Amino acid sequence: MAKNKQNKNSLGALRKQEKKLGYVFASPWLLGLGIFGAFPILASLYLSFTRYRMVGTPAWIGLANYRALFFNDSIFWTSLYNTLYHVFLSVPLGLIVGILLALLLNTRIRGIGIYRTLFYLPNVVSIVAMSLLWLWLFQPNFGLINQVLSPVYNLLDMEPLGWYRASNLSKLTIVLMGLWTAGGSMIIYLAQMQDIPRDYYEAAEIDGANGFQQTIKITLPLMTPSIFFNFIMGIILGFQVFAVAYIMTQGGPGRSTYYYGYYLFDKMINDNNMGQASAMAWVLLVVTLIITLLALTLNKYVFYLGEQD
Amino acid sequence: MKKIALITLMLITVFTLAACNREDIGDRIEIEFWHMSPVGSESYSGMRRIVREFNESQEEYFVRGTGINFWDYWDRVNIAIASGNAPDVGYHTLDNVILRASNQALYNISDMIQADIDNDVDTIDTSVFLDNQLEFASYDGDLYALPFSATVRMLYYNLDLFHDAGLTEADVPTNWDELYTVAKQIDDVDGNTINVLGFDPSFGEGWYHQYLWTAGLDFFDEDLNPTLNTDRHLEILEWMYTFNEEYPRSTLDAFGEANEMLGINPFAAGRVGMMIATDGLYETLRPLEGELNYGVAPIPLPDEDGVRVNWGSGFSIELYDNGDAERRDGAWAFLKYIMDYDTQLDLADTIGWLMSNIPAMEAYAEGNEILEAFVKELDYAIDKVYVPYAPNWHAIDWDQFFQQGLSGELTAEQVLQQARNLYIEKRENYEAAN
Repeated sequence: MAKNKQNKNSLGALRKQEKKLGYVFASPWLLGLGIFGAFPILASLYLSFTRYRMVGTPAWIGLANYRALFFNDSIFWTSLYNTLYHVFLSVPLGLIVGILLALLLNTRIRGIGIYRTLFYLPNVVSIVAMSLLWLWLFQPNFGLINQVLSPVYNLLDMEPLGWYRASNLSKLTIVLMGLWTAGGSMIIYLAQMQDIPRDYYEAAEIDGANGFQQTIKITLPLMTPSIFFNFIMGIILGFQVFAVAYIMTQGGPGRSTYYYGYYLFDKMINDNNMGQASAMAWVLLVVTLIITLLALTLNKYVFYLGEQD
Repeated sequence: MKKIALITLMLITVFTLAACNREDIGDRIEIEFWHMSPVGSESYSGMRRIVREFNESQEEYFVRGTGINFWDYWDRVNIAIASGNAPDVGYHTLDNVILRASNQALYNISDMIQADIDNDVDTIDTSVFLDNQLEFASYDGDLYALPFSATVRMLYYNLDLFHDAGLTEADVPTNWDELYTVAKQIDDVDGNTINVLGFDPSFGEGWYHQYLWTAGLDFFDEDLNPTLNTDRHLEILEWMYTFNEEYPRSTLDAFGEANEMLGINPFAAGRVGMMIATDGLYETLRPLEGELNYGVAPIPLPDEDGVRVNWGSGFSIELYDNGDAERRDGAWAFLKYIMDYDTQLDLADTIGWLMSNIPAMEAYAEGNEILEAFVKELDYAIDKVYVPYAPNWHAIDWDQFFQQGLSGELTAEQVLQQARNLYIEKRENYEAAN
């Protein structure tokens, strides 16, 4: 009995010591988070209630920045609409393309590693290089895409599409361009697919299920955790779309690709209006949070392998 | 063998780290100077030499120059000012000195000049600068910056293309009617392909506000209320949109974009007969000396009542208030050196910019017809007004509407109306927060 108590005590001490060590090892990250993460976040909350022109001292103005954004800023709503459009189009399309790629590359053929690398490769290309490349491809007058499509245009007797130069197509063009990097989510899907026990497929085969049925009934349900992960990350990253529009379209034509992040950047850098830019950042946080929380309700449809029930 | 490799590695590390050691400046006071001649740029070694020469002449101060490329410079300097970590001396845009001066970010240059006069010390002679530039460097009657560079915009014309069209230098246009006639004579269009375009008002540095100025108009009135609502505003915008209306906009876009994407300056490539551009284009054309036969002329005026003017957009040089009197004095000593006649001459040659010291620029330009024309035209260069509620009024605020008009999505009238509404909205929001 006494020996048990002694063992428990020494185990407790060991755990305490481990905890301490854990904190010591984590301290650089915790300090970094506090200084470089939490402080600017809280500072921006304060600045959102001030008039601050990037020089001088911020002056408290209460809710004036928020009022201006919500009630007297037409571009604010345009940029929010553009961003929501981008999120609602790019997230589902990104999921579909990523899953299809993963299914396609989850086969055992010669050189599959090379194919997987090739599809992943666009993710390591700099966004500036990628944007310039697609600028060439989508160029309405001499771009490769319109050259390839010219027989279709002739057949349908229509004008070549204006892509990023047409305000009704520019957002779609940027979404299509983004699909080029679907290889990033493909890697996550592939990793999860490799984790699905072979027994399930063998059992399904014995029961007479064909490949399509196996995909629908086994592969996709068991991939839901990674699909869900990519879905949530896609929403969060989608709201931050900026660089591509900045490089390719400069927010145009006619502010059709003037996304929320772009407007926020302009408010700060070009209008020297740090107060309103901070308010915009907090509005974005709330919008992203609401949509992410709504998306999280879909968690009940996610099947975690090994989980009871 | 392993030991030898290890020792070699250690020695390399030690030498590398030793090489990173900063220059020993003894007990001299260090002054930080930010400029736009980064490592790898053509002007880097020249700028380094200019700074070194100052340091060699000094026992009290040591200037450490930091070169930042043009595109990164603005974000960095603005953030540095906002966070209180600004350099002691740096460049900025001349047209918004008022913003920094009114927020106590800058030292008062007039006070320093006066102190020098009181102490019978050599000081900066402000009469060497252009009055209109000094005006932009002033706030509340005092100087808070000095003009550093002086940009000028002129009409470049390609004499080879003039000759091909049967024209001579005497035909260089001085008004919009002549501009149109000459441009159409130079145009060389083959079906849907433009080989050579005489002129397009929106190419290069053809800015709507600049054309308005030549007609005695502006975006804002004296109280900074947006205008843009007169018939003349509309006429000028329509003139820009319809100058090349015989060609489809897609053809013009393809022409412009092909040049842009290939990184070709259309004027340098001989694809444009006339183009408004800054003195910076002259630097681009320098390597083509002897190959490209061209000249520069003042921007054509709308008619005989037009105003001879061009958009200046020069840089200022400023002393940032970091609350350290010793560093302030060092920065002032360096500023006097860099604004000195000889240094300005040296800087023009090193950076390739027109500097603000006019006598120095006159000497620099002497014997060079094009540079002489630039210096002469500086008298007609003015900066754009600083509008606190829309500091970027001429760029993204306006440009999105302008482009929509160019593509035909909006009429010229709608462009002006929508731009005006945006400025009004911005003004209301600004006033609500102030």
